Amino acid sequence: MKVAIFPPNSMILADMIVRSGHEPLVVQNQMKEKVTSPDLDAPPFNMTEDDPINGLKYAAIEVPSGVRGRMSLFGPIIEEAEAAIIMNEAPYGFGCVGCARSSELTVFSLRRKDIPVLELDYPTSRDDTVEMVYKINTFLDNLENNGEDEADD
Amino acid sequence: MSKKNEDIDTEFCHIPMGDGTYRDSDQKDKITRMIILGPGCEVSSKELLNFLHLLEVPINIRLTCYGANLNGYPDDVMYAVQRARELDPTHIFIKFRGFPPGDPRRCRAKRGGAREGFHQIEAEYKLLPEVSYALEHPKHVDLNPPEKIPVDEFSQIVKEIQSKK
Repeated sequence: MKVAIFPPNSMILADMIVRSGHEPLVVQNQMKEKVTSPDLDAPPFNMTEDDPINGLKYAAIEVPSGVRGRMSLFGPIIEEAEAAIIMNEAPYGFGCVGCARSSELTVFSLRRKDIPVLELDYPTSRDDTVEMVYKINTFLDNLENNGEDEADD
Repeated sequence: MSKKNEDIDTEFCHIPMGDGTYRDSDQKDKITRMIILGPGCEVSSKELLNFLHLLEVPINIRLTCYGANLNGYPDDVMYAVQRARELDPTHIFIKFRGFPPGDPRRCRAKRGGAREGFHQIEAEYKLLPEVSYALEHPKHVDLNPPEKIPVDEFSQIVKEIQSKK
């Protein structure tokens, strides 16, 4: 099952999903498509002129082009997601995750989809971290069981 | 990036980077994974590197301070990742990476300063001891948030506790 994560570049969330046999939808894969394609417009940096246009699917024309450009990266993740794990209040926001409005729009779009979503708070203590891992593992195991049940029906 | 026709190498399909260098397009079918050794890992990055070399799979391995970067065709890289994880399953973590190792657009050798992704690893590294502990002691928990109780019931409980004092 394809599981979207937020922050979309999180190592821990992606690793836990791989461990449980699912496929994480991470932003690095979207970046890879952009930066390794032999297209003439493959950017030396992060954006091409087409990206804000693709982002129009998610945000209006008045929205800054930075948000729309980021949404062109997050868009395929939202489209393909069959489940999602969202970590709120994560203190890091590097690279393309560093925009609060894009992050809000992505989380909003994931919540609005009719998919199972696990929402967590960023852990601030040892016990919280252990609890977070237990919750993620339980959620991912439940996904597997639910998928099998549906296949049986 | 230059879009002039004379700058484009049509014979080898190399993309001009705008600074006089060319980017190979042979990375299109390849993937990159980062192997990150968590705190308390049983193997060092040098041991990991030796282990990966001895696997004899055709991948590009780059030794780093936190572990190794692997670049190559998906089957080979995933095989190497799987074998590396078996060394210490609860302390070895895998991260996806978009740019190939040594890419001039991101490599710190060309840009100076740490790569953006390194800050991310640094931030998450602090949580890894607890994550490893939780992976060693797996448990299932209830995902439903605890229900709120009515005010009357709550006041009843408060009264009971106060009467005991």
